[in-house]
Amino acid sequence: MFLTRSEYDRGVNTFSPEGRLFQVEYAIEAIKLGSTAIGIRTKEGVVLAVEKRITSPLMEPTTVEKIVEVDKHIGCVVSGLMADSRTMVDRARVECQNHWFVYNERMSVESCAQAVSNLAIQFGDSDDDGAAMSRPFGVAILFAGIDEKGPQLYHMDPSGTFVEFDAKAIGSGSEGAQQSLQEMYHSSMTLVEATTAALTILKQVMEEKLNSTNVEVMTMTPKDLYHMFAKEQVEESLKNVAPLEQSRGDNIPRTESVPQAKTSE
Amino acid sequence: MTQLNFISFQSILSYNGSAMVAMKGERCVSIATDKRFGIQAQTVSMDFPKVFEMGPHLYLGLPGLATDIGTVYEKLRFRKNLFELRENRRMSPQIFSAMVSNMLYEKRFGPFFVEPIVAGLDPYTCVPYVCNMDLIGCRNEPEDFVTGGSASAQLFGMCESLWEPNMGPDDLFETTSQALINAFDRDAISGWGAIVHIIEKDKVTTRELKTRMD
Amino acid sequence: MSSSVSRPYYPDYLAETPTKHHFSPYADNGGSIVAIAGDDYVVIAGDTRLSAGFQIYTRQQNKLFPLTKTTVLGCAGCWCDTLTLTRLLNTRMQMYEQEHNKTMSTPAAAQMLSTVLYYKRFFPYYISNMLVGLDDEGKGCVYSYDPIGHCEKAKYRAGGSAGALLQPLLDNQVGLKNMQNVQVESIPLDRALSILKDVFISAAERDIYTGDAIYINIVTKDGIKSDSFPLRKD
Repeated sequence: MFLTRSEYDRGVNTFSPEGRLFQVEYAIEAIKLGSTAIGIRTKEGVVLAVEKRITSPLMEPTTVEKIVEVDKHIGCVVSGLMADSRTMVDRARVECQNHWFVYNERMSVESCAQAVSNLAIQFGDSDDDGAAMSRPFGVAILFAGIDEKGPQLYHMDPSGTFVEFDAKAIGSGSEGAQQSLQEMYHSSMTLVEATTAALTILKQVMEEKLNSTNVEVMTMTPKDLYHMFAKEQVEESLKNVAPLEQSRGDNIPRTESVPQAKTSE
Repeated sequence: MTQLNFISFQSILSYNGSAMVAMKGERCVSIATDKRFGIQAQTVSMDFPKVFEMGPHLYLGLPGLATDIGTVYEKLRFRKNLFELRENRRMSPQIFSAMVSNMLYEKRFGPFFVEPIVAGLDPYTCVPYVCNMDLIGCRNEPEDFVTGGSASAQLFGMCESLWEPNMGPDDLFETTSQALINAFDRDAISGWGAIVHIIEKDKVTTRELKTRMD
Repeated sequence: MSSSVSRPYYPDYLAETPTKHHFSPYADNGGSIVAIAGDDYVVIAGDTRLSAGFQIYTRQQNKLFPLTKTTVLGCAGCWCDTLTLTRLLNTRMQMYEQEHNKTMSTPAAAQMLSTVLYYKRFFPYYISNMLVGLDDEGKGCVYSYDPIGHCEKAKYRAGGSAGALLQPLLDNQVGLKNMQNVQVESIPLDRALSILKDVFISAAERDIYTGDAIYINIVTKDGIKSDSFPLRKD
């Protein structure tokens, strides 16, 4: 893909003669190493589901937090460099609280994504304002929220580009998962159907066997807003997931398993 | 804007807090006051007399510094009684207010901190009379109503809208009461009960009003 | 002064000390604002006299500032602060519109005004502010402020130089306070307008900083209608 490797792939704010920013493109590649996460928006609400890579039996699975609350009405799932994601989630939280402080209303999901996007593109050379970020964030985010427009799902990549989606997958299994989402998604889906679909697809693309400790599920509904599934509730939802038909699971075009980067989960 | 610093501005006159109003009606006058005595924001008593009967048809209200209220009242009572004994005739409200004014001006450079209100009927003609003055005795004798105390601005607003000419005693009572109560409800340092006197030719009706006590 | 060494002795009254000039950053330009809210409307009126001390600068100064199609701000107090604040608010309204792709609601504008005022906690805008509009349910609402951003939501409010005179009157006539055997219900628009005019006539009688005329804004779901009404001019 990158046949013309040259000095242009070093400066984060230097365009190559073909008009590309290699570091940004590399960052977009980096998020394809992250764990798979799926978001589906229905009329009832939004569901987020994500796999957790438990790389060691000695690891405490609950400390891997991939779905986090930004505000009562906005949650997000991240994939890629988890350390980078903390910075972005912090910004999202601060912006939401600041919006509430100034306007006494909930920030819209789009505005929240915009605010995080403003942070995401601040990589570049340092200037008088102090040290700048030396590289783009290696994180993909799905924002799920409820605002005056109803349930909302936004996707953002390391370039800061954010787009609204009905259903979106990110991470290592995203290509296959997105394909499956396209087949399964329909506009009149219920939230339960969407949850089942998300878990089913996750099961197809995951390398590990899907169980209640290596998956996180969250729903966002107008009534309950941010709701993280407890272990029991995840198990309940997993019962709806049909046992994987071997043939179909094997047919899913899976991105060739890449050696796991240590920082990437 | 002016309310922001009213505690320091004219602080002595507003040290104890008061609200007082007198109105003219058709062959009757009213005078009404709140009952609070406090030290700045702290309420000390809720039954403090500020309006005094000086004669059958003559009432004196003394909004201002509580300590001077007593002194001024006693001095005026003395002077009025002496006048009536010497002259062997009743003092009209006009003459009484002139006397109050003169007494206050005697203390031009070390005044009593009261802004008296005089209300009454002429003892012989029964013509209504109301009057108020500042703490050094500058008199104001209007055709409609007078106000005094820390709630005087609120009272001006109320009276200016509610008062109308030639009210009978019942209307006068209602108007005076509504003006006073609503005014001192918006003043933190007056209120806590009210007394209204309606002075007519052959009777004086004194009513105590139940008000909010906060 | 007496201990200074290098200067010859002067009596105190001849002393060559620098003359002190005190600069006051504030002016009180007077003015009154009254607002009354109903179920599906809100009216706000401000007098048109702009003055300082015994001087009248103009007899036709509008003190009402529409911020959106359903929000109006009324300002009385230091006029230069009013000019600055309203320009700032208009920019903030525009920025919000562009950032969030929607018009600011009245409650949001009310909260924003509170924070804007509090940001100048130690050098405040010396203004009695009154923000009116329709809330998210389309009901009329009135927000009144102190100069450093304390905000109170009400159904009716008087502010500015005649605020102390008019507020008890509104309590009585609109809030029906100290009335027996009445049930408090929201008043119709024509009644609100006639009360509004009456209270300003009273204020113009007793407050020298209020008079000349009033400008009225009537806010309904259909937008803002303007009206005016003459007052005494002395």
